[in-house]
Formats: sequence, structure tokens, C-alpha cells
Amino acid sequence: MSLTTPVPGAKFIDPVVLARIGNLEFVARTVVDGLINGTHRSPFFGASVDFAEHRGYVAGDDIRRVDWRVFARTDKYYIKEFEADSNSNFSVLLDVSKSMGFGAKISKLDYAKTLAACLAYLANAQRDRVGIITFDDAIVEHVPPSAKHLDVVLHTLDRAKPLRPGHLVAPLKKLAEHFGRRGIVVVISDFYAEPEEVFDAVGPIRSRGNDVVLFHLLDPQEIDFSFSDPASFEDMESGDQMPIVPTKLAADYRALVQAHIDTLTKESSRKQVDYVPLNTSMPLDFALFRFLSMRERLARSR
Amino acid sequence: MSFLAPLFLLGLAALAVPVLIHLTQKERKSVVAFPSLMFLRKIPYESVQRRRIRDWLLLALRLAAILLIVAAFARPFLRGSSVAAAAGGARDIVVVLDRSYSMGYGDTWARAQRAAAQAIGSATAADRISLVLFADTAEVALRSTPDRSRAVAEINAASPGPGATKYGPAIKLAGSLLAESLLPRKEMVLVSDFQRGGWQPDDTLRLPGGTTVTTAVIDPPQAASIALTPVTLLRTREPGQAERVTVTAGVLNRTATAANDLPISLEFDGRVVQDLKVSAAANGSASVSFLPVTIPQQPNTRATVRLGTAAAPVDALPRDNVFHFVIAPSAPVPVMTVSQASADAMLYLSRALAIGEAPRFDATLQSPDALAGDALNRARVILLNDVPVGASVAAKLVTFVEGGGGLLIAAGQRTSWPAARAAWLPATIGDTVDRTRGAARLSGIDFGHAIFEPFRAPRSGDFSTARFYSYRALAAAKDASVLARFDTGEPAMVERVAGRGRVIVYASTLDLAWNDLALKPMFLPFVHQVGRHLSGFKEQPAWLTVGQVLDVDAAEIAAGATSGSAARAAAGRTILTPSGQRRDLTAAVASGGTAPATTPALELAEQGFYEIRGTGRDSGPMIVAASNVALAESNLDRMDPKELVAAVTGNGTSGSTPGGDVLPDEAQELAQRVWWYLLFTGILLLIAETLLAHRYSRARV
Repeated sequence: MSLTTPVPGAKFIDPVVLARIGNLEFVARTVVDGLINGTHRSPFFGASVDFAEHRGYVAGDDIRRVDWRVFARTDKYYIKEFEADSNSNFSVLLDVSKSMGFGAKISKLDYAKTLAACLAYLANAQRDRVGIITFDDAIVEHVPPSAKHLDVVLHTLDRAKPLRPGHLVAPLKKLAEHFGRRGIVVVISDFYAEPEEVFDAVGPIRSRGNDVVLFHLLDPQEIDFSFSDPASFEDMESGDQMPIVPTKLAADYRALVQAHIDTLTKESSRKQVDYVPLNTSMPLDFALFRFLSMRERLARSR
Repeated sequence: MSFLAPLFLLGLAALAVPVLIHLTQKERKSVVAFPSLMFLRKIPYESVQRRRIRDWLLLALRLAAILLIVAAFARPFLRGSSVAAAAGGARDIVVVLDRSYSMGYGDTWARAQRAAAQAIGSATAADRISLVLFADTAEVALRSTPDRSRAVAEINAASPGPGATKYGPAIKLAGSLLAESLLPRKEMVLVSDFQRGGWQPDDTLRLPGGTTVTTAVIDPPQAASIALTPVTLLRTREPGQAERVTVTAGVLNRTATAANDLPISLEFDGRVVQDLKVSAAANGSASVSFLPVTIPQQPNTRATVRLGTAAAPVDALPRDNVFHFVIAPSAPVPVMTVSQASADAMLYLSRALAIGEAPRFDATLQSPDALAGDALNRARVILLNDVPVGASVAAKLVTFVEGGGGLLIAAGQRTSWPAARAAWLPATIGDTVDRTRGAARLSGIDFGHAIFEPFRAPRSGDFSTARFYSYRALAAAKDASVLARFDTGEPAMVERVAGRGRVIVYASTLDLAWNDLALKPMFLPFVHQVGRHLSGFKEQPAWLTVGQVLDVDAAEIAAGATSGSAARAAAGRTILTPSGQRRDLTAAVASGGTAPATTPALELAEQGFYEIRGTGRDSGPMIVAASNVALAESNLDRMDPKELVAAVTGNGTSGSTPGGDVLPDEAQELAQRVWWYLLFTGILLLIAETLLAHRYSRARV
């Protein structure tokens, strides 16, 4: 899977340009509307209009949802319910650790903010309850899912800053207790942890029936390791320094990163977790498009 | 090479600057913030490589430039071999070869000869070679010759002597030879075993500037030896028996192992009289006493203590295993007392002279008539007590004194001296001074004089207790020494040196006629001091060391020589050296006189017994002197040759004298011109560095 090449001929919005727009709602709407207009059918919509069950009419139900055919046969009022109507929780778990502040043209965190805003906007547009949790080595902000929380979510995203070192496992394990109701959990992070640790962290969330999507954000320099001069490389989180001759290490580094992505891809598939590696040089709407396409494919296969 | 401004060498610390800049600057410039080192840490890679210097050539250029410029500012100059090598040209080589007796240890001498021959092996036809052989003294065996084969022959002909090592004379001699040299290169080759005992740092020992000193260290195979120390002699004389002597010898073991049951023998005149065994601990010493031996009646018995035997030597250095000495019955000094007084009146003087031990006096009392005969020739000292002296006797006495005799004229009522020879006496004898109504006392004594020196300390004899009732007024000559005065200030005792002898005029008598000095306790030591001083007696050691000088006169006096025999012997003496060579010893004769002006002396150059005898009939006793090697030479501890070289070339720390070795102007200029080349090369390197650095930086951009 290519992490850097967009679809040839497609006109996508440069994430750098998006990052310059301060209003996340406007950005999200721009991206999502453009995306929906460009596609005839949203995978989310398609999945939400399926018939679920009939239930007896109670006072207060909308009479427009009475199934008149059933009434004709049984002379009783039944309400027809669809999957789409059972609104799910859509939670974004955003990694705001220091390493997310890295990026040559656009930082990973800015890219993640835009991505999270778009996803929240998209979910909110289909009546899902949206919430957000930002974390580093602990939970930083927690906005519980609600149909009315889009503004709060966007505001929270706007305030997020990479301040402290991060750690996946502890905060995610703690969060798993909060996901009592099945929903969609989107984890946006750079996943600087061993694959086992990543899945140890998201495992409890997944085992509670949540639909987990991992967005793995990487800067082009993290992927290509295109440094040339020998330098002392400083870990943004721990502050450790290490003298490096990039030309001698680049090949090995790229192989290790690729192996990491491959392992995450493979393990995600095995554990029925959606995994989307994203290059921050990739246009955001292209990234969304790819993700939604993948969801559609998976929905068909599941 | 040395530096005129060595403090500038502190600038060499700047060598660290390029390296530090290279490492620190890169470090500071390129700290890259990276999200995580998780993957980088997994790569097995020596990160130190990053700090490795990449542009070696550039760094080398910078360092070399700094080094050269700093060195140029320190103003280096070449000296010694550097200048010589730079100047080139013919060499004046002085080979200084140690022939002290320690070089006779095992095959040390053969190796030293080879080393010396090897040192001149590289000499060309233009070079000049000198050979200096030294031990405690140095001599030029060969002076500035281009003939290499002759030099080698001289080296091969030389042999180690009995002398001890002393580097000073040899270096002075070599320095003077090199100073005379006109050749551009000067070289001294010192071949020695470099015994520490032979080196005394001396600021005046300095070779001419530019001299190269090469050392050839000839180590003995085992730097250890066993040696005899000087013997001690204990003389005993029982009443009615002959004099006996107990000989005690010491053994010094400088080896790391104990020496047990070493044979040691005592020989008299070549015959072994006693054999003993001696053991000495490792690095220790021991002594052994032989049984008392009766001293032979004949004078000059040659005694030898020998450690080990010819068949079984105790070590490889035989010279210090033999110790020679001379045993002789103590010979009395013949003293003739002349007086008209009775023997009873002279009792005090006679008894005083009879008691002496060192020296013993053989005193005879004579009437004034005896002076007319040849009795003078049998005496060493003549004491005239109140005796009138005629012209002929005066002439004899003058001859006697100038030949080495001692004369005391004790003036009394009858004393007279010919007016024609009045000037010869140290004082003119005047009228009698009567002090019966108030005795005169001695004061103003010259305690610095040999006669009165023992009385210098308090309670060592008070001459002022003696009372003088009469005395002759003395008028001291200008060149005479007044040894004592009366309380009136008049001279009481006046001395003068006449020829090789001495004459003293005493203003009063030696008996009790005019004074009571003879009744005082200090009379006996006073008489002994007068006799010892007038006879010129010096106690002779039983042995001497090679290099010491034997005072032949003193030795003859100690052997009982009279003034007459001494005078005859002084005219000519023959010496028989231990090696059997015979040569004449004649003292220098004073101009215008017949008497020798200087005391004949013999420098001992060999180990063994010297014989000295006067030529002609009745020329006095034969003298035998024992000569031994210096004990210090048997200590083979080595010194560092660099210490010696540094001291004599001025490069060391042993107190160099500024300007002690001044180079000629041209050589100085040549020697100091180095800084210019260094600076020029340094600047060239900096230019090259600039160009190279520019090229590198462009290539990287």
C-alpha cells in the first residue's frame, strides 16, 4: 500500500492549506461535503437504512413510522425500526503526545485534528453521537458522545496541543471502561509502540463490541528518513539524543518502519480492527475516501 | 634542539582547537528533533562513527600549521650534533678511555678497547683523532692524528691502571684539546664503566660549544665485588721486649650473596706469616685480626694482607683484594744538646727529651767542643744552651740549618754569635736584662704557631707562671717571627726559616740558671713541640693511596735521617717503582743556591711498594712507601651517562652557566635560522588549508 501517492487525476485539498484555516467546522464541512458530492452513496448511509425490527406502538411515537401493511394484516399498530435509526456513539481517541507535534510542513497533530473534525462532522451528519478523548500518557480531555457535542468536540480539537510524552496502553485501558455501549471508536495516533502493546491497548475496547478504527499518522520524513547530514537525533518525548549518520541508517530504518506497518496491518486484520496508515502529505479528503472505501469493502465482506 | 623562547610552546595547546571545533560545532549545529528513536535504537550501529573525523587531510593541515607556527615562535635552535651535522665537515674526535682499575674487572677492559676502536672506525681521512687515557688523572696518549691505525694501536697498548675513576680531569683535558681544534665538528667519545663515585658535578666542566658527546657504557658482567679495606695497626711495647703489632684487616662484600671462609693471609717481605679465614654477609663487611707479630728490627718491613689466593681469586677484580703497608720500628729524631753546664743542670731537658714517643728523641749532651767536629752531621736538631759560638762553628751551623736541620739558641750569659753572621739569626742578641727584683713573665705568645698551638685552649698550660730572672735583650729581624714576648714587650722567642731548616733564638736558658720554666708542667710538652717543629717531623702513614704524593723529606726524617744525610740525599735520589722501573728523583734547585728550593715529592702511580734511596755513600736511610688502590673504586655502582653528558654540554640541570658554550656567530645564525623555515612552512600549510576547505565546502553545497 502506498502511503504517499494520491489517486492520479483527482483534485484533493492540500492538508497544508486546510491547516491554515482556523475554523475546524468549516474545514470539516468543506472536506465532507466535497466528499459526499463526489460519491453517490456514502458507506455510512448505506449501512444505516437496513430494517432492524418491529415493535409495538406506544403513545408519542411518530405515526409516520407506523407500518401500515402490518396493521392491515394484524389490525395492530407496529412501528418499523431501521438500523440507521439506532444512533451509535462515535468517539475519537486523539493522541496529543509530543511526538504528534512533529512535521515538516504540517504537524501530525494538525493533520489529526482536521481528520478528527471531518470524521466527527461526518458522523454527526448521520445523527451519530460524537465525542472525543484526547490523551498522552493520561487522559487530557474527555467529551462524552452526544448528538449535540459537535461544537464541543471541535472546540476541544482546536485546543489540543502536544505537551507531554505519550503512552498508549495506560490511557486506553482506562478508557475501555467508558465504552459500555457499542459504538465506533477511532484512534488517531502515530503508534510509537510495539504492535503487541497497541493491540493490548485497543483490545479491551474492541472486546466490548466497539468498532475500532486505527488511523496511523506518519510524516513523510518518518517514512522516508530523508535526512542527509550526520546529526544528533533527539527523541521528542524522552529528550534522549543519539548521534546518527542518516545515510548509513536510512535503509534499515525504512525497512523497520515498513515492517511495523505491515505488522499492524496484519494484526488488525486478524483482530478485526480497521487500520489506516496515513501519510500527512496525503490530501485529507483522499485519506477519508480511502478509509470509507475500505469500510465499504469490509462491510460487504462482513 | 633547544628553544630560545620555550614559553611559546604553551601555544601547542591550540592543537586541540581544530579537533574540538570539528566535534563540538557539528554537534551543536545538527540536533534534529525526531518523534521517537524507537526504530533507530534497533539498528545495530556504532554511533561513535558520527564523531569520527571525516576530513583527515584538512585536520592534518590545520594541526601541522599550528604546530609549525608555535614552534617558530618558540625560536628553536640547533646545538651540538645538530649544528655539526648541519654544518658538515671534518671531525675532531677525542676518545676518552677510562683505565681505572675497575675496568680490569673480568673482560671489561677488552670490551672497552673494542668500543673505543669502534668509535673511531667511522673516522675519515679528514678527521683527527686524539686519545685521552684517564683514571684519577688524565693524560694525552695521542694528540690529533689522522692515522686511525695508530690510534687503534695506542688503544690496544693501553691497560687499566691502579687509579680510581675521576671524570673531571679527563673532561677538562678533552675540552682543551677540542678547544684548540680548528675542525668544524667536535666530538668526544667517552668509554667507561661510568662509576658513580667518579663523578662530581662541577660547573666549570664544560666542553666547547657544538661538541657532540657519545658515551659507550661498558658494564661489568657482574656489578659486584669483594674488597679489602685499609688495615689498622695496633703497636704494643712490653718492658724489655721487642715492639709488637696487631694487624686488623677489613673485608667489604658488595655482592648479594654471603662470602664464607675466604682465605686471607698476612705477608711480611713476601713471606706468609699467618693464614686465616674470613666470612662476610651479603652487602656487609667483616674484620679479622691477625695474631700480634714482633716488628722486625730492620726498617721498612713490607707487609701485605691478601684476600684469596692466586689460584682461587675471590672475584674478578684482583686489585682491591691486596693491601700493602709498611711496618717499621719507630726511628728516633737525633737531637744534640750542647751546653757548658753540668749534666745535672741539664737534667730537666734530658729527661724531657727521653720521654717522647711520637717522635722519640735520641738526645745526646755534648760540650761546645763537639761543634768543631762532624757531630753536627749526625744530628737533626741542635739545642745550644748558653754556648758561645765562634765564626767557624757558626758557619757549620748555618750549613747545618740550611741543609734541613733545626737550631735553637738558648741565650745565656756566655752566649755569643759572630757579628759577621749576625744578620743570619732571626734576632740580634743584646745585653743581659736583670729581673731578679721583679721576675719577667711570658706574655704575647703566638698560639697560632706550631710550637704553641697545643697550649691554645684554656687550662692547657699557663706560660705566665714561669718566672724569668734574667734574659738577653733580643732585637728581632724584620723577616723573623716573634713567637713569644716578655711582659715588657721584648721578644722572648724569635724564629726564622733558613734554607730548608729553621732557627730559633730563645732569650733565656733551658736550665734553671735564669728561669724556672723547666719546673713548670708545660715544660715537657714545650720541649717536645720545639723538637718536633725544628726537626720537621711528620708522622708517616703506613700506607698511601695511588694518586697521593709522598713527602720524601718527611719520610726520611721519620726514618731517622740526619741533617747531613738529608742534604746529601737531596742532591740525588733513586726511585724503584713497584713495577721495577728505576728513575731519579731530583728536587728543583733554587736559583743561585745549591740547596733545593722545593721539597721533593713523589706521586704514587702504581700499586705496591716504592723504594727511595739517596745516591752516594752515607746518604741516609732507604724509604719504602706502600701504595694501595682507592677503595671507592671497588664500588661498581653505575651512574646515568646522560647526567654527565647533560652537565658537560650544558643541556642538563646541573647548573649550566649562561653563555658557557657560545657558538661562533655564523653557527649561531645557522642554528637559529630554523624558525624562519618553520614559519614559512606553516603559512604555506595555512594557505593550502584554506584552498582545500573552500573546495570541500563547495563540494558539499
